[in-house]
Amino acid sequence: MEHGSYQDQSASTFSLADEDHTLANSLRFTLNQDPRVALCGYSIPHPSEARVNIRVQTTGDPANEVLKDSCQDLMLICQHVRSTFDQAVVDFKNNNGAENQ
Amino acid sequence: MPKIPLWDLPELPKNQLPPHLYLQKTRVFCNNDAPTHTENIHYSGAYAALGVDNSLRLDEFRKNFKVKVIKLNEEDMEFDLIGIDASIANAFRRILISELPTMAIEKVLVANSSSVVQDEVLAQRLGLVPIKVDPRLFDYMSENDVPNQKNSIVFKLHYKCDRGSGERRTVYSHDLKWLPFGSEYVLPTESSSDSTSKPKTYTSFTSSQDSLPEFANNPITVTPGIIISKLGPGQEIELEAHAVKGVGKTHAKWSPVATSWYRMLPEVILLQDIEDDDAHKLVKKCPVNVFDIEDVGRERATVARPRSCTLCRECIREPGWEEKVALRRVKDHFIFTIESTGALPPEVLFTEAVKILEDKCERVITELS
Amino acid sequence: MSPLGECPLDPGGYFVVKGNEKASVMSSTEMTKSKTIIRMEKEKVYLVLNAFTSKVPIMLVMKAMGMETDQEVVQMLGRDPQYATLLLPSIEDCASIGIYTQLQALEFLEKKDEGALGVLRDIFIPNIRVGGIKSPVRENNFHLKCVYVVVMLRRMMDAILNKDAMDDKDYIGNKRLELSGQLLSLLFEDLFKSMNDQVKFNVDKILSKPSRSSRFDVSQHLLKESITVGLERSLSTGNWDVSRFKMHRKGMTQIVTRLSFIGAFGSMTKISPQFEKSRKVSGPRALQPSQWGMLCPCDTPEGEACGLVKNLALMTHVTTDEEEGPIISLCTCFGVEDLSTLSGEELHSPSSYLIILNGLILGKHRRPERFANVMRKLRRAGKVGDFVSIYVNEKQRCVYIASDGGRVCRPLVIADNGVSRIKDHHMRELKDGVRNFDSFLREGLIEYLDVNEENNALIALYEGEATHETTHVEIEPFTILGACAGLIPFPHHNQSPRNTYQCAMGKQAMGNIAYNQSLRSTVSLNEAMSDGYLDLPFGLSSTAATDDENNRAAGQNATVAVMSYSGYDIEDAIVMNKSSLDRGFGRCIVMKKISAAYQKYDNTSDQFSSPCRSQHDQIQILDNDGLASPGEIIRHQDVYFQKECPIDPKGSMKSHPSQTPYRTSKQTYKGAEGETAVVDRVALCSDKRNNLNVKFMIRHTRRPEVGDKFSSRHGQKGVCGTIVQQEDFPFSERGICPDLIMNPHGFPSRMTVGKMIELLGSKAGVSCGRFHYGSAFGEPSGHADKVEDISETLVKHGFCYNGKDFLYSGITGMPLQAYIFMGPIYYQKLKHMVLDKMHARGMGPRQLITRQPTEGRSRNGGLRVGEMERDCLIAYGTSNLIYERLMISSDPFEVQVCRKCGLLGYINYKSKTRVNFKNISRFLLS
Repeated sequence: MEHGSYQDQSASTFSLADEDHTLANSLRFTLNQDPRVALCGYSIPHPSEARVNIRVQTTGDPANEVLKDSCQDLMLICQHVRSTFDQAVVDFKNNNGAENQ
Repeated sequence: MPKIPLWDLPELPKNQLPPHLYLQKTRVFCNNDAPTHTENIHYSGAYAALGVDNSLRLDEFRKNFKVKVIKLNEEDMEFDLIGIDASIANAFRRILISELPTMAIEKVLVANSSSVVQDEVLAQRLGLVPIKVDPRLFDYMSENDVPNQKNSIVFKLHYKCDRGSGERRTVYSHDLKWLPFGSEYVLPTESSSDSTSKPKTYTSFTSSQDSLPEFANNPITVTPGIIISKLGPGQEIELEAHAVKGVGKTHAKWSPVATSWYRMLPEVILLQDIEDDDAHKLVKKCPVNVFDIEDVGRERATVARPRSCTLCRECIREPGWEEKVALRRVKDHFIFTIESTGALPPEVLFTEAVKILEDKCERVITELS
Repeated sequence: MSPLGECPLDPGGYFVVKGNEKASVMSSTEMTKSKTIIRMEKEKVYLVLNAFTSKVPIMLVMKAMGMETDQEVVQMLGRDPQYATLLLPSIEDCASIGIYTQLQALEFLEKKDEGALGVLRDIFIPNIRVGGIKSPVRENNFHLKCVYVVVMLRRMMDAILNKDAMDDKDYIGNKRLELSGQLLSLLFEDLFKSMNDQVKFNVDKILSKPSRSSRFDVSQHLLKESITVGLERSLSTGNWDVSRFKMHRKGMTQIVTRLSFIGAFGSMTKISPQFEKSRKVSGPRALQPSQWGMLCPCDTPEGEACGLVKNLALMTHVTTDEEEGPIISLCTCFGVEDLSTLSGEELHSPSSYLIILNGLILGKHRRPERFANVMRKLRRAGKVGDFVSIYVNEKQRCVYIASDGGRVCRPLVIADNGVSRIKDHHMRELKDGVRNFDSFLREGLIEYLDVNEENNALIALYEGEATHETTHVEIEPFTILGACAGLIPFPHHNQSPRNTYQCAMGKQAMGNIAYNQSLRSTVSLNEAMSDGYLDLPFGLSSTAATDDENNRAAGQNATVAVMSYSGYDIEDAIVMNKSSLDRGFGRCIVMKKISAAYQKYDNTSDQFSSPCRSQHDQIQILDNDGLASPGEIIRHQDVYFQKECPIDPKGSMKSHPSQTPYRTSKQTYKGAEGETAVVDRVALCSDKRNNLNVKFMIRHTRRPEVGDKFSSRHGQKGVCGTIVQQEDFPFSERGICPDLIMNPHGFPSRMTVGKMIELLGSKAGVSCGRFHYGSAFGEPSGHADKVEDISETLVKHGFCYNGKDFLYSGITGMPLQAYIFMGPIYYQKLKHMVLDKMHARGMGPRQLITRQPTEGRSRNGGLRVGEMERDCLIAYGTSNLIYERLMISSDPFEVQVCRKCGLLGYINYKSKTRVNFKNISRFLLS
């Protein structure tokens, strides 16, 4: 759910249901790393409601797009982490196997 | 610090932070009174005035990111995540604890329980017993679903302590027996109906679970050796436990890890040469043997095992020592530990956790577009 | 005990009356109240006695008792002219009315009151016999009484001349505790005598009849249950109305609160004062120095009874009455000179001491110290009762021997010339179980001293501190605390009121009651609770260190992080970890007893009823006999009991029971909505009237929720402010995640340093695998660990010496900007839970008469918008809300009025359509 104005698309609040710090905090990181972002932050309005509000203000680009890109970045990071991790595990197992022999 | 005129300052190389700022950006200073510079500087334009770009470039991340496995067995795993931000490492940790699904006992049908342990307490204890089964093979059971072979596992526990024996007996988790055909208890409403057809039980399995290829030669078990209850002479427990799929957010019993956490790589720096008596003192101070003495003409203290530093701050406790020893943490190097409960091996858990974060991103992207 | 289903650890000390456990409360009195008063008014001394209508000049009394010469009185009073001067106005007064001889005095008294001599003989100072059974030789010999009066006079004059000689009313040695035995004996005496009177009255009536049909048998006329009923009534109501002894007291018994073992134990050590609590006095409320070791300095309630209600200390013993005869004869053997052989002058001779046994002057002794020592030796040898006290008062030149009941006393180790009698080998034998406390006492290593005798002893706190003059050594300093205060670890580091608060709060903590707690039902409280999982505290307290407390725990070891978190932790609220709660932290089981009965009527009785299965769902937990079966889950509005009642219980005497018509009667369970409970047990028994009674124990397991009350053992209570997921909680470098977070603002103003030390000690204990001790004042004797040692252990295991850990935030993943004080603290769950208290109402029941909402949660009552709430609404500007609440919500009522006759009526809804309603209109009353 997006709260913003049609006149100025550079600033928006996105309300994500069933999410918490896990995603919001990671997104805050990727958003902040994007040079197009002027300000971003998130809040959980009430602890008994599973919902986060992410505020994105950009230097001009539509906030919507920037957030999407950040998600994309985060996904790419995750994919890279996964492949690296899997490789490391395989390496470790091979090495250990070698040692055991 | 002596005052240096501005124009006498050395020229800074482009695209590089001055050393003290670089240190503050990349290290947590664990001083004696309180840690400082604990926060990460995320904002891409944080150092724009210095001409330094703080934004993240994926290729750079790919180049710098490393994973090093330190320890790995069926249950525990320790590995280093190098070159990643705390928010993402933390996301993995949080997902591991609360969002990875497992199977756990949710419903307990007590036929008979004469032990001193109350039924509710018994059920709670049973719920916490980890079940060694891959949760990916099962579906979630929603409110309207009937329990079937795709969404539930049924265990039976029947244990009796003979009256004559005069001894107490302990019921362990491995006394739980897997029922691949589903529940054996007949629904009370069905009891009066015709006896020819198969009576309706609490579960409606259409096929036996052990006919599935995954479980054919691999019966579902639970972690053995966990004490469930103790029975006195003449006491008996007879029950059926139904396990379903769930996540740790709902209840801790569905958490696939005992715990999972990380710590930042300790960095112990000797700011001055520490020699002779002081060196011996320093070595003696540390309870985890971080320091060693090397003999280079004189005895000099060295940092031998910074990784084992537990941050007891004993080395910098006495006045004056804070100038000699600096305790720091590297902000982008995480020593990550996963203690699995046994449902899945830890390395699988981690990849699953990363996948879940990816799914979350994907969900947001689809929601936005 | 255990084969019979009783808990072997149960201390007893209570009565079981009508299914309730009632403990009688000890009451403290100021010595036995004498009915004789000698009072000085306008420099003249009078005797005030209830038997006399007015006060009597003291000299007149002396003369009436045969001491005719003023000289003799003055001589006995002492040579010092000061005393004579004080008495002079009284002597002159007596002379002025012309009374000089015994006869004159008696005549004067007789004129005022009939039988004055009898009064003087029997009622005036009755403990001194003037003849009668004990000494027939001394028929009407008032000499001893005169001596006693003179001693009284002298004491009074001493007090006038020298304020120091005044007795302290609040001094514990001047108080006696009244135990249940004494109270019961009074009650019994009254009831027995009443019964006798009644029997006599009845028998007389029968015997006075001229002709009797049957042989007379007294036993037929004994009233059967009057004593039982009387005792039961007094015990269950706590009202002691004994008109024979002019005793009207209320609240003498209390229900034993079975929330935890210590709580129940603590409530049996309670001492309440006899006078009313509303008095604004500070004297009796203040901590008395003589209270040391006898009464707990911490355990007293707050508010109006503060300082008046006290509790016994750990080792206190309350004496019971002991025979005086043997002691009297022993005293005479050891050289006590009888008073009657002494002249007046010798009474106060400085060379000898008065010997007084329980307020009775036995005589004089020339070598009081030696006499006292001999008596004490006899006591240690067991020839005289253990609790007889011998006290030499040098100021009053008296030796007091006390053997009466109600004195508090405590054991001390005897020391000879400063060397303790208990040697190492004794302690070894104690450890091996060869010896026990009693054998120590029997062999004269330990003795009981009461408050008065303590004044003659020089007691060293530790053996090492003993000097040559030391006569006794304390067993252990923490024994000055009571049972509840003994539960606090490191109490000597806390601010004193915190310990007091904890004493009150420890009684509310839920814990194991006894070994047989799962069997207790019919004789026990209406509600009993216990925790699901209980721990032995890592940081042990004084009593825990000495007792086998394992099975009497009342709390759990929670890993506590002292930090601010989330803003839901202000005002002492705590933040709890949801995963910890999932894993069983802070769960409790609440038992509730409901009973139902099968009534018996003249000819018929209630019958079992087999439920009809095809009915609705609410009866599905019933068994075939119409009773809920054990183990069934029971919800709000479920039927747990069903029976068949005769429709007409009185009539139809003739008809056969099988023909009487019956109707079904049900009882439904009223519990919290949305909660499930379990039928724990069903007990069948018959009551007094031989009706079949059914008792259901309903068990409800509760996990902590927001608003439940928790407390550490340092008077630091707090409610659960919020429950947070584990992943949001901070975690340490070792992966440790706290169970609860406590706000650091709880510390500065409360100054509960003991809690901090408990945390440190527990943390060290957990890391090194042994219990750390925190007995009160235990550091010198090694019963409490020193902070330095604890810190050393912590450092050895890689923790910081000050217990502060480097924590990462679970939310951002970054380290916290401060080191966090974290470690295990023993937490108790208190009985106040939200589920029992929460209440809200929109519309609901109203009272019949006033049509106002009912009152109270149990009746689903209304919530008052009071003055202050109204102010808030005004300030907020919600005018419509105020208007609705004040004008519309309560008072208006719609009535139907007939337009023709103007009378009120009501619409019969069933006949609404047919009746002519043209003339009726609605009307709003408000």
